[in-house]
Amino acid sequence: MKKIVISGLALLAFFKIQAQTPKDSTGYKPTKLKIEEVNLVSSYYRQNGDNASVTGGIGSQKLTDIANVIDVTLVKYGKTGKKHTLDVEIGVDHYTSASSDRVDLQANTSASSSDIRVYPSLLYTAEQIDKGRSFAIGVGSSTEYDYQSFNGTAAFIQKTKDRNGEFTARFQAFLDQVKIIKPIELRQGQDDGGTEARNTFAGSLSYAQAINKNLQVSLTADYVQQTGYLSLPFHRVYLNDGTVSQENLPDTRTKIPIGGRLSYFLGDHLIVRAFYRFYTDDWDMQSHTAELELPVKITPFFSLTPFYRYYDQTRIKYFKAYGEHTAAEQYRTSNYDLSPFHSNFYGIGVRMAPENGLFGNPHWAMLEFRVGHYDRSTDLNANIASVNLKYKV
Amino acid sequence: METFTHSEKLMGNMFTFSMVTASEAAFKELVAAAVAEVKRIEKILTTYSETSETAQINAQAGIAAVCVSDETFDLIQRSLFLSEITQGAFDITYGGIDKSLWNFDRTMTSLPSPEKALQSVHLVNYKNVILNESEKTVFLKEKGMRLGFGGIGKGFAAEKVKLVLQKAGVTDGIVNASGDLCAWGTQPNGNPWTVGIAHPDLRDAPFSYLSISNRAIATSGTYEKFITINGKRYSHTINPKTGLPVQGIKSVTIIAPNAELADALATPVSVMGIKSGLYLIEQIPEVHAIVIDDQNNLFKTSQIQLK
Repeated sequence: MKKIVISGLALLAFFKIQAQTPKDSTGYKPTKLKIEEVNLVSSYYRQNGDNASVTGGIGSQKLTDIANVIDVTLVKYGKTGKKHTLDVEIGVDHYTSASSDRVDLQANTSASSSDIRVYPSLLYTAEQIDKGRSFAIGVGSSTEYDYQSFNGTAAFIQKTKDRNGEFTARFQAFLDQVKIIKPIELRQGQDDGGTEARNTFAGSLSYAQAINKNLQVSLTADYVQQTGYLSLPFHRVYLNDGTVSQENLPDTRTKIPIGGRLSYFLGDHLIVRAFYRFYTDDWDMQSHTAELELPVKITPFFSLTPFYRYYDQTRIKYFKAYGEHTAAEQYRTSNYDLSPFHSNFYGIGVRMAPENGLFGNPHWAMLEFRVGHYDRSTDLNANIASVNLKYKV
Repeated sequence: METFTHSEKLMGNMFTFSMVTASEAAFKELVAAAVAEVKRIEKILTTYSETSETAQINAQAGIAAVCVSDETFDLIQRSLFLSEITQGAFDITYGGIDKSLWNFDRTMTSLPSPEKALQSVHLVNYKNVILNESEKTVFLKEKGMRLGFGGIGKGFAAEKVKLVLQKAGVTDGIVNASGDLCAWGTQPNGNPWTVGIAHPDLRDAPFSYLSISNRAIATSGTYEKFITINGKRYSHTINPKTGLPVQGIKSVTIIAPNAELADALATPVSVMGIKSGLYLIEQIPEVHAIVIDDQNNLFKTSQIQLK
């Protein structure tokens, strides 16, 4: 039979396991019990009505034979009382889009109208349980057809004295390579465009508080600095003189999102999750996001989560519609991702986390998939499906 | 079927009742029965109330024998038997210790002299508890002797509550009396219950897990109640043989088929010392022990398999 598997990887053993016992200086001596004493112990159980555990009529010879072996799983801590865990995750997204960016005008199915994204990650956490403090570092990567990203994370988490509040400071860096795929009519000969760097550094402060047994709230403020190639190379811009050029945007961007989250537990089976975020940046975009999620726990290992998200944004100052940019403008884009719009996104998520692991394998801890429909005021519709599988060492 | 859990402070300890029942309403009724049972036991065992059987026995110490219920008589009889097999390390007359020597708020700077210490335990001797089986009477021979069930009462209560619940039809559950717990049956998914053993240095964190069904676990440790004198850590447990505090062991966990037995054996193992204590446990069928000493060395009986 499979025994309990502890989440996390043992890095340091805390206890030295000793086979030899030292001499006692307590005034007591190792003493052999008399057979009638041992038998009295088994009758002791019977007095309490606990018959299941008694085999009855056993002599001292047989005693150890009938005893079951007890398996004890040790949790490993570092010498300083730290708990170490290492989580490995592999995520795969698949999405199809009805009006995704067409790079090759002739093609019916372009590379990005149906795309797969793979993102493995590794996170190491050292937790000092008695002080309520954790430190985590992690690395991850994400690979798409035209995009390669490496990221690093460092986080510090401190719980309040009563353990109901938690402060998190996080720093993240994303080092990305964007494959430069120009629109086909702007390519010259065998020009494959090469790649350009895009670096993102994000600092984040958040505070979460459990107000009572049923209500948890959190606030998060971020400061994000991006540098490098921030345009998308395959975006065309049609100028007012009828000519075609490429999107061109500044090579720095500073973003400030501020958000709040609320979770309300309605009994054991239903959670109400609400989320709101305000966003502003130095390209003059402002946006509001509001989201509602209602996870319903069908069984402890299976849950369904319907969700709805509303989003609204203003244009960036470099955006103009088709045929409105002039050749004199240094920065220009007609990418409708940067235009004013609002969108609705709704769908459902399914999560399975059987206690003994998926397919009876305790390493495969969790499977989650999500399907949704996305509808935007700028004539963009998409159906999105994502799968997340969690592997625990 | 679902697992419901309820915690409540009873007998000066936190009791947690977990049961697999069909509905919350059914669970609430069972909790009421469980709480009533603990309160009934408290009435027998408490030394704070003058009317409890225990208080009456103590009041008549050196004077007269006191007639008690079968339940109390049997508990005392089992306790004396445990004293016998632990060479007196477990002793329900421990209540007669002269407490004026000890103040476990960590301000002590020296141990009392061995003579003074020995004097403080002169009333502690289980052999001076005289039972009369046919009359069901208990007599404490020396004036000033006191019975106390601190070393067995929580386990006794957990076991009694388990019986009440089993009689009421609960086939799966856990009764946890502040760390002295018994589990029977399984979780709703058919798996055995998973129980953590508290880490001796980290109050809320377990250092190990095990799966149990129809078994009991008790852990006795010096988590908070200890004194440090000249760099040595002493437990709040007094060795009834010497009158001096126990030293060298941080935590003892006993796994047994019965919560009363698990509870009662945890402290004497730390009193007896690792070698004598484990040698004793090794001989008792279906009882197992894990001991952690002050240097965080782990010792165990042979049938425990560490993973």
